[in-house]
Amino acid sequence: MHNDVILVIVVGTALAFDFTNGFHDTANVVATSISTRAMSPRLAVAYAAALNFAGAFISLAVAATVAQDVVDSGAITPTVVFAGLIGGISWNLITWYLGLPSSSSHALIGGVVGSAFAAAGADAVSGDGVLGKVLIPAVMAPILAFLVGVAAILVCYSVAGRLRPGPVSRGYRLGQVVSGGLLALAHGTNDAQKTMGVITLALVTNGTLAPGSDPPTWVIVSAASAIAVGTYSGGWRIIRTMGTRIIRMDPAQGFAAQGAGAAVILASSHYGFPLSTTHVIAGGVMGAGAGKRISAVRWGVAGNIVAAWLLTLPAAAAIGAAAYGFTRIFGTGSLGPAIVTAIGLALVTAAFARRIRQGAPVPAG
Amino acid sequence: MLGTVVDTQALLRTILAASAVGVGVTLIFSIAIAGAALFADMNRDDRPVAAAAFAVVSVVALAAAGAAVVIGIIVMTQK
Repeated sequence: MHNDVILVIVVGTALAFDFTNGFHDTANVVATSISTRAMSPRLAVAYAAALNFAGAFISLAVAATVAQDVVDSGAITPTVVFAGLIGGISWNLITWYLGLPSSSSHALIGGVVGSAFAAAGADAVSGDGVLGKVLIPAVMAPILAFLVGVAAILVCYSVAGRLRPGPVSRGYRLGQVVSGGLLALAHGTNDAQKTMGVITLALVTNGTLAPGSDPPTWVIVSAASAIAVGTYSGGWRIIRTMGTRIIRMDPAQGFAAQGAGAAVILASSHYGFPLSTTHVIAGGVMGAGAGKRISAVRWGVAGNIVAAWLLTLPAAAAIGAAAYGFTRIFGTGSLGPAIVTAIGLALVTAAFARRIRQGAPVPAG
Repeated sequence: MLGTVVDTQALLRTILAASAVGVGVTLIFSIAIAGAALFADMNRDDRPVAAAAFAVVSVVALAAAGAAVVIGIIVMTQK
C-alpha cells in the first residue's frame, strides 16, 4: 500500500517536472522567433507545444534514467527519485522566477545526485560520470554553439547583408519558422524521454514492470502531454531574457542563432554526445550577437546566465539532499513524500500568486 | 584523463558535423534568400534573363536547404 502511494507521488512529481521542463525551456525554442517577429508569441508557443508533443513520440530509445551514469543504480529507490525530482523542479522554478535560462536536465541530474548522496553517501556518486556527462558538456555546448553562431551570422551578412532589407528579413523570418520547429522537435524528443525514463524506473523499482521493460503507452502519452502543456504555458520571463536581454536581434541573427543551435543539437544527438538545449541556444544567441559586434552582447546578462549554469548542479543537489533528509524524518513510508509534496505545492502556489500580483510579463497576441 | 571520462571521438565528430551543417545550411539558405531578393529586383528592372537565373539559383538552394531539414528529422528518428 505504502509503495503504491509513493509510486503515485513519484509519477505525479515526474510529470510536474516534465511540465516545468516544457514551461522553463519554451524560451530556448521560441524566444528568437518572437523577438524578431517571425511569429506572434501565442502562435510560437502553440507551435512549439505541438512539436514538443510530436517529438516525444519520435524516438522511444529510452534511457533507464537520465542519471544512470552519474549515480550507482543500487542507490536508486523511489524516495531517492522523488527527492531528486523535487531538487530539479525547485531549481527550475527558482531560475524561472529570476528569468534565467538554465538546463532542466542538469537540474534533474543534480537533484538525483544530491538525494543519492544523502541516501547512500559519496560512493553512490560517480565523479567521472558527473565530469563526463555533465560538466564537460556544459562547457563545450555554449562554446561550440557560440562559434557556429558567429560563423553563421557572418555568412548571412556577407551573402545577403547588402540587399534590400525587406525581402531579406522576410526570408530569414520564414527560415526561423523551420529552424525553430526543428529545435522544438529535438527538445520534445530529448527531454520528454527523460521523464519517461524516470517514471519507467519508478515502475520497475516498485515491481510494477519487469526490468528492461519499455515504457507503457500511458507513460509516453502523459509525458508528451505534460511537456506540451508546460511549453504552451510559456515561461515569459525567460523568453524575455533569451529574446531581448542578451542581444537585440534582427531576423538574420535569429535565424543564425536557431540554425546554429539546431545543427549542434542534431549533431550531438547523432553522435551520442549529450548537450543541453539551453546551453546550446544561449551560446548560439550570444554568437549571433558577437558576430555582428562584440559590444552587441550584454555581457552582464550573459554572465548571470553562466552563473546560473554553474550553480545548477550544486544547488539542485543541495535541494535534492535536503528533500531526501526531510522525507526520511517521517520514516520510509509514504508520509514523508506526501508532506514534501504538500509543502512544495503550497510554495509553488505562493510563488505564482506573488508573480501574478507583480504582473507577469505575458505578451498580447 | 579527459579521454577516460569523455568520448573524445563523439566530441570531435559533433564539433565537425555541427560546424559543417550549421554554416553550410546557413550559407545555402542565405543564397536562396539572396536569389529571391535579386530575382524581384531584376524582374522589376525588366531584366528577364537575369531574373530567371536568380530564380533558378533560389529554387535550387531552397530545395537543398529543405533536404537538409528532412535529413535532420531522419537523424532524430534514428537515434
